[in-house]
Amino acid sequence: MINLQELRTRARDLLTKGEVRAVVGYRRGSRGMAAEPVVITRPEEAAQLVWDPSCVHNLALYLVEDRKLLKHRRQTPDKPIAIVAKGCDARAIVVLLQENYFKREEVYILGVSCEETGVFSDQKLMRRFGVNSQALTDARFDGTDYVVTSAEGEQRCAAREVMAERCLECRQPFPKVNDVVLGEEKARTLEAPFAALGRFEQTANTQVARWDFWKRQFDRCIRCFACRSVCPMCYCEECIVDSITFTVAPDTTAEEKANRVRWIQRSATGSENIGYHMTRALHLAGRCIDCGECERVCPVHIPLRLLNTKLERDAREKFGYEPGASIEVASLVSSFRDDDPNDFIR
Amino acid sequence: MHEQQQQQTQYEPKIVAFLCKWCSSAGSDLAGVSRIQYPANATPITVMCSGSVSPQYILSAFNKGADGVLVSGCHIGDCHYMEGNYYARRKLYMVSELLQFIGVEPERFRMSWVSAAEGTKYAKVVRDFVEDLRHLGPQDKLKAQRP
Ligand code: SF4
Ligand code: SF4
Repeated sequence: MINLQELRTRARDLLTKGEVRAVVGYRRGSRGMAAEPVVITRPEEAAQLVWDPSCVHNLALYLVEDRKLLKHRRQTPDKPIAIVAKGCDARAIVVLLQENYFKREEVYILGVSCEETGVFSDQKLMRRFGVNSQALTDARFDGTDYVVTSAEGEQRCAAREVMAERCLECRQPFPKVNDVVLGEEKARTLEAPFAALGRFEQTANTQVARWDFWKRQFDRCIRCFACRSVCPMCYCEECIVDSITFTVAPDTTAEEKANRVRWIQRSATGSENIGYHMTRALHLAGRCIDCGECERVCPVHIPLRLLNTKLERDAREKFGYEPGASIEVASLVSSFRDDDPNDFIR
Repeated sequence: MHEQQQQQTQYEPKIVAFLCKWCSSAGSDLAGVSRIQYPANATPITVMCSGSVSPQYILSAFNKGADGVLVSGCHIGDCHYMEGNYYARRKLYMVSELLQFIGVEPERFRMSWVSAAEGTKYAKVVRDFVEDLRHLGPQDKLKAQRP
């Protein structure tokens, strides 16, 4: 585990010296140990910061929110914003930098290494202990196992029993791109990359089985767009799957409004939901860094990671492309190789 | 049985074919002027380049009831815009993979390289496609069920 005091001191110093205008991090929430995202601007607030396995959120989202707000206010700040970033958050930031969403000097990456822990899955905690992180008061990692403290006292369990699925498969729990990093670059892969995807493909191994599975999933999507809202990569001001995001200015004519192409209807019906999910997955191809936030926030438990990792694996195996690995390389869909797959073409 | 057979013969697959202006569209014209016989099931939509075909076009065609979607462009190396078809190949590979992943029949979406001189090839691509779709029957997985 990293030294929490050091994290707080770093954040405090950055704010005291005026090197950054704010720090995005985690603080203790109102119930139990469950962390919540926070943006602090005053040095004394740095004492609130925490870092533990309940820090599940991908904070890169708040960089995007910050950008949108600045744009709205027509402000160009002279100082960067600092962010506490674990491995996946840092990879998300790399993608945003690669896409020139903001510039490297506009963000200060206070990296934290997950080392061997990763973060909790509340669902798994429920399954294992009957409570989620809001009912825990403490969680430690003793090198092999988790020791969690709740009303029941101390209990231990193997890390894989409570760790988020994505963390078990994580290949890069260390923020490679950073301005400073706390914790060591060590990792242990508890599951092979794409293990969950592989398991799915083994069970649903026919076209009919796959369709039965996905139809069931898509049919129950309520199109709340939580998965889109939580995704740092879904930063488009206008989203083609959602007509209410289309810009309407005072001088937009009724005709212009009527003529906007609605590729996908907003109604949560089977076919439109599929349209939404295919579009979402394709727009994230080569960009999704598998922070798993979409799946975590889905109120009806649609296994969105399967769609994301399916394309991530294709990108890796067929195109040798790894999302979030480098700021300099061309993105997946703006590059090609002579030996890209061709035998599916007649 | 008899009724079923009748339905089978009545079912005419609808194909939406996105053809690039410089090669495949010219290829389909050549098939026409050469009076090559091939089924009239494909509705051609000329696009400037296969690289300009957004996955959205494909999803939308299926949503509006296409039984099959074809994207056809110039052979690799022959793109009028030098590399448009390279981008198309990469992008549409993922579309095809994703559709199969959720259980859509792989035969419903296909890509081909057809040059302006390959009228015969274009006719064959469409003929084969129609044949395959006939076996599959109508596409109702992605089709909008609107009242
Ligand atoms: S996915 Fe990797 S970097 Fe992200 S929280 Fe889990 S272990 Fe850490
Ligand atoms: S997949 Fe889940 S989170 Fe996303 S829109 Fe559907 S119900 Fe909401």
